[in-house]
Amino acid sequence: MIRLYRVSKSYRDVAALQDITFNVGKGEFCYITGPSGAGKTTMLKLLYGAERPSTGKLLINGTDIGKLPKHDLPRLRRNMGIVFQDFKLIPSRTVSENVGLALEVLGAPRERIQRQVRAVLNIVGLRGRGNTLPHRLSGGEQQRVAVARAIVNDPSVLLADEPTGNLDGAMAIEVMEILQAINLRGTTVMVATHDTGLMQRFPYRVLRFRAGRLESGGNG
Amino acid sequence: MSVAPHIVRRAVRSLWENLYLNAVSTGVISAALLLMGMSLWVQHNINSAVASWSRDVHVSAYFQPDLAEADREAIRDRIARDPNVERVRYVTEEEARTWLTERVDGLGDVFDELGPGVLPASLEITLVDSDDLDAQVDALAPWLRDDEFAEVDYGREWIGRFETFLEVVKGLGATMGTLILVSALFLVTNTVYLVIYNRRDELEIQKLVGATTGYIVAPFIVEGFVHGLVGGLVAVVGLWGAHSVLSGQLESVLMLGLVPELTFLPLGWVAGLVFTGLVLGVGAATVAVSRFIASAP
Repeated sequence: MIRLYRVSKSYRDVAALQDITFNVGKGEFCYITGPSGAGKTTMLKLLYGAERPSTGKLLINGTDIGKLPKHDLPRLRRNMGIVFQDFKLIPSRTVSENVGLALEVLGAPRERIQRQVRAVLNIVGLRGRGNTLPHRLSGGEQQRVAVARAIVNDPSVLLADEPTGNLDGAMAIEVMEILQAINLRGTTVMVATHDTGLMQRFPYRVLRFRAGRLESGGNG
Repeated sequence: MSVAPHIVRRAVRSLWENLYLNAVSTGVISAALLLMGMSLWVQHNINSAVASWSRDVHVSAYFQPDLAEADREAIRDRIARDPNVERVRYVTEEEARTWLTERVDGLGDVFDELGPGVLPASLEITLVDSDDLDAQVDALAPWLRDDEFAEVDYGREWIGRFETFLEVVKGLGATMGTLILVSALFLVTNTVYLVIYNRRDELEIQKLVGATTGYIVAPFIVEGFVHGLVGGLVAVVGLWGAHSVLSGQLESVLMLGLVPELTFLPLGWVAGLVFTGLVLGVGAATVAVSRFIASAP
C-alpha cells in the first residue's frame, strides 16, 4: 500500500527528513509521532503529494509519488482522505456542502452527493446537522465534519495531521473512535500526533521520528 | 459524471457572494466599452457624413455683383452644356437669403438691417457622377472666369483636407482605444485577483480533495464571461441612450444639412463591441487565475 525506501527531503541545505524507510500495509493503522520539528508534517506532505522527496522512492498503491506529474496529483488525492488540525472547512459553506466537495470535484451527480453525505454524517454522528454552518459547531464537531469529508469518497488511505490537536480530551477520544471505526472498514489510517495519552488509549503501530530520522517503528 | 453543473453553480454562487467586486469588474468593462463605442460612433457618423458630402459635390460660383441678369442666365446656359455638368441651378440673392433665414432663427432681422447685396447670386453646379471628380472640376475651371465670378468654391478641396484630418483622428482613436482596453484589462485582472485571493483557502481545500486545475479555474472563467457579456450589453444600452440623446441635441445641425441623419453603429460593430467585452472578461480572468496558480504553493 505505502512503501518508502531511503526517502529524504531537504529544503535548500536543511534536511527535514533523512533516509526514511518503512512500509504500511493495506488496512493498517499507524501513528507518526515525535517532538516538534521531528518531520511529522513533512512526512504527511510527502504522502499527499504537497512535497516531493529529494531522494529515495515513495510508492502509494504502486504509484511513485516522486515521478508523478503535477497534473496527476488530483488522481492520487481522490483516493486519499486528509484531515488537518485546523479542520480546513470552508466557513461560508454548510456542513453538507463541505463534505460534498470531495464528491463534487469528481463530478458526481447531486443526488448521489446528497445520499453519500447523509450516510457519512451518520457515521461521524452528525445526523441532521447538514445545513449548519461550521462556525455554529463545536471544535469536535468541526473535526468530525473534516473526517466526514475525508471519507465520503471511500478512500483507501486516510491521513490525519494532529487531528486532535485543537480538541479537549473527550472530543479527541470521539474523533479517534471515528478514525478507528473507519480503519475497521478497511481504510489505511496514518495519524501524525504527539499525544502519547491517545496512543496509549488506542494502541497501534508507532513510527517515531526524531530530527528528521525514523527512530523506531520502521519495518524496511 | 460531469463537473460542468458544479462549475456553473460555483460560478453563480461566487458572482452573488462577491457582488461588489463583480460589479466593479463589470462596470470597468462597461465604461471601457462605452468610451470605445462612443469613439466608434463618432467615427462612423463622420465617415457617413464625408461619404455623403463626397457623393454630393457641387461647385458654388458667386457672380460679380455688377453682372446683368441676362448675362448671368447666358453664363448659366453656357456652363450647362458642358458634358461634365449634370445640372446648374441659378440661385438669386433672394433665394439664398430665404434658404438661410428658414434654417437659422433671427437671421432674417440681420439681413433686414444690412439691406440688399449681402449674399451674392450664384450658380450651384452639380457634376455628373464620376470616379474622378478632380478631373471634372479641372475641366470646368476655364468656364469660371474672374471677370464674371467673384469667388468659386470647388467643395472638393475641403473634403480632401477633412479626410486627411479624419485619418489622424482615426489613428488617435485607435491608440486611445488600445490604451483604454489595456487599462481595463489591468483593472479587471486585479479585481478578479482580489476575488480569487478572498477565496484562496477554499481553493486550497479544493486542491486537497482532488480538484483538478481545470475545475478550480473554470468558475472564474465563467465569471469572466459573465462580466464581459453583461459589461458589453450595458455598454451597448448606454451607447444607444447616448445616441438617442445626441441625435436630439444635434437636431439643429442636422436641419442645416451639414450632417446627414445620425445613425447607430451597424450590427456587426455592436457585436464586435460585445465580443471585445467577452475577450476582456475572459482574458482578465485567465490572467488573474494564472497569476494566482503560479504564486500558489
